[in-house]
Amino acid sequence: MIDKTIDRSLRWLDDRLGIAKGGRTFLDKIFPDHWSFMLGEIALYSFVVLLATGVFVSLYYIPSAHEIVYHGSYIPLRGQRVSEAYASSVGLSFDVKSGLLMRQAHHWAANIFLGSIAVHMARVFFTGAFRKPREFNWIVGVSMLILGIVNGFLGYSLPDDLVSGTGIRIAYSIIESIPLVGSYLGTFLFGGNYPGNGIIIPRFYILHVLIVPLLIIGLLAAHLGLLVKQKHTQFGGKGKTEHNVVGTPMFPTFIAKTTGFLFMTTAVLFLLGGLAQINPIWQFGQYQPYQISYAVQPDWYMGWLDGALRIMPSWEWVGWGHTIALEVFLPAVIFPGLIFNIFIVWPFIESRHTKDLAYHNLLDRPRDRPLRTAVGVAMLTLLFMVFFASSDDVLANFFQVPLVAVLWFFRIAVVIAPVIAAVVAYKICNEMRAAEGVGKRKRPQIVTRSSTGEYSTTDAEPRPGDGVEELDAIPVPTYIDLVPPELATGVGVRRVMR
Amino acid sequence: MRRLFRARYAAPAALVGCVAIVGLIAFSPSATLADAAPTTTLPVLTTTATTTTPIAQPTQSVSGALNYAAPSNQTGLFYAQLPQAFIAPGEALFAANCASCHGPAALGTGRAPNLQGLGAGTVDFWVSTGRMPLANSSVQATRKPPRFNRLQTLEIAAWVQSLTPGQGTQVPIVNTNNADLEAGNALFTLNCAACHTITGAGDALPGGAYAPSLHLATPVQAVEAIRSGPGNMPHFSVGNITNTEARDIAAYVDGVIQHQDNRGGFGLGGIGPVGEGFVALLIGVGALMLVCFWIGDRT
Repeated sequence: MIDKTIDRSLRWLDDRLGIAKGGRTFLDKIFPDHWSFMLGEIALYSFVVLLATGVFVSLYYIPSAHEIVYHGSYIPLRGQRVSEAYASSVGLSFDVKSGLLMRQAHHWAANIFLGSIAVHMARVFFTGAFRKPREFNWIVGVSMLILGIVNGFLGYSLPDDLVSGTGIRIAYSIIESIPLVGSYLGTFLFGGNYPGNGIIIPRFYILHVLIVPLLIIGLLAAHLGLLVKQKHTQFGGKGKTEHNVVGTPMFPTFIAKTTGFLFMTTAVLFLLGGLAQINPIWQFGQYQPYQISYAVQPDWYMGWLDGALRIMPSWEWVGWGHTIALEVFLPAVIFPGLIFNIFIVWPFIESRHTKDLAYHNLLDRPRDRPLRTAVGVAMLTLLFMVFFASSDDVLANFFQVPLVAVLWFFRIAVVIAPVIAAVVAYKICNEMRAAEGVGKRKRPQIVTRSSTGEYSTTDAEPRPGDGVEELDAIPVPTYIDLVPPELATGVGVRRVMR
Repeated sequence: MRRLFRARYAAPAALVGCVAIVGLIAFSPSATLADAAPTTTLPVLTTTATTTTPIAQPTQSVSGALNYAAPSNQTGLFYAQLPQAFIAPGEALFAANCASCHGPAALGTGRAPNLQGLGAGTVDFWVSTGRMPLANSSVQATRKPPRFNRLQTLEIAAWVQSLTPGQGTQVPIVNTNNADLEAGNALFTLNCAACHTITGAGDALPGGAYAPSLHLATPVQAVEAIRSGPGNMPHFSVGNITNTEARDIAAYVDGVIQHQDNRGGFGLGGIGPVGEGFVALLIGVGALMLVCFWIGDRT
């Protein structure tokens, strides 16, 4: 009876909207089972939490720099003149039921949204999932990363507290440092000279809650649409070829799994929101341009930009009546611009280098592409170094070493460490390819002692999971084949004697 | 069949998630005016009692003739005239513990500065925070448990003061009962946060120096530091920060900075986004990657 009703209503919809065709594609979509394919879903579900908590938070937040006298429940602030934005953010934290939980969960979700994007991106990079035909989806992903960082910064600035206000001040200086157009751009964005008559808070608000999220949602739709159209990549192994996808279908299996994952992600975000304090703005106070706190860092995803600014020597160019603040322009405009452009064009750099124009649905293991892996490790090391440089004062205080020593350590490390890391990664990749059985589970040996005191070893019984084919190296067309022909046993596979 | 079997993770995962969310929303603190009042005012009330008595008690027991003016509610900050009886034992303590570096007349040597004219408050700050006697001649003296008790400290201070009567920083009596925490907050943000950080956690400064954490400073020490400017810290005279304002800052340090309203869970050290970033990446993303590993295929 119910079957018939569902059947009839679906048919009714299909007759009018033609849902059967798309629905079939969607329900039959195959998802490979490997765990690393779920990293992007952390970002997706964090984004869902961001939208939900963001709606709640926006119900109580007032995007106005208008000055009022604080009369809320946090005593040290009472009677102080604060902006409505700051007063409403503190009010949301203290005077709204579960407001602090929602605000903190929103903030944690933003941090983890970008963290999971970074991890997902590393997986895609090191396994070569960005290769033809998926270059476009890679670029869409990088665009979402950039927009996510921008929106994180905008949202971080909205409470108008002392720490975030310092961030806006730095952002203004960065815009000003752009040669020729910088001061005009800054005046345009801030509606005048800094701090711009309080116009920046409503402007950031509309960007943060409407414009940038809409762009992200559009790109997200494109990201997932392309994923369905181009189908998933997969790791090589038994039964997996360039022309098939092996995994579980969306319905009934994967949809249950992914819904569970949605709830798990939400649970972790809300547990953090309830148990770990983030951005206690009531302790910081209202932002005033003439006040500053020490030990101020941006959220982690801006840390690498802040770190680059911190370790840059103070270079300046003066000529023809103009000053170009290279100490700000190079690390805060050129450096991130360069990094993001390398991200975007990397698929094309690589295909030009390898002259590999074929379709790829099977993923590489990182060790099978030592040069790409080395480049990726170098980039990660560089970013980690400037990221840690952002906390140079906290590190100096924690380890009780002079601040100047920490500064010079990072100045040298950003140049040296990526090179060392790349060489080490390259060597490890080649060694792993050379040795047989690396990454495979080893069979235990059982040592027995006979009655006469004689020892002998036998192989243990096979355990579940032994002999799984996926980890066996499959022939991959290598473009950096350093292996002498006499030692090569297959394309990309080498055997050496121990 | 094996693939259907994997779906068994979904139901418990969903259940755990739902319970956690509902629980957190149901039990999350709803701060009201009534809730907030005791958490922020109580520490101030309780700590003032303990911090003002140590000065008052020994002095009264030694010499009943002393008459301190009771701290008025207008300023709440008075400078004590240390009793004459303190000077003789103070001289002996100084000779035994301080004179080897600072010289028998506290005029300083090649190793240590001249103390004459600095006043009892300066001496009290350095000795009561344990910075003196110096553990080693590093760039900056570090806070450690004091070697002398309150009475001995004041005796040394009284002797140094007696060398240059009326000069330098005096030992304050701080009554924070009627302090204005709102003013303290504003003054602290304006004058102190640039080095000590807005949460009072302290941080490294250029040249190997650092702004120490304020989490152990008493109101008396806070006022002495403001007035005398120990080490790299600038000193603030009455023209910059009035006695009332110094009292308000001391009350803010003692009542709010040291009893931080850490609603919203673990405070993560009060060092801002550095701690938060580590938690987000290692615990947040890390935990969710473990979930991926749990519900995904591992081969």
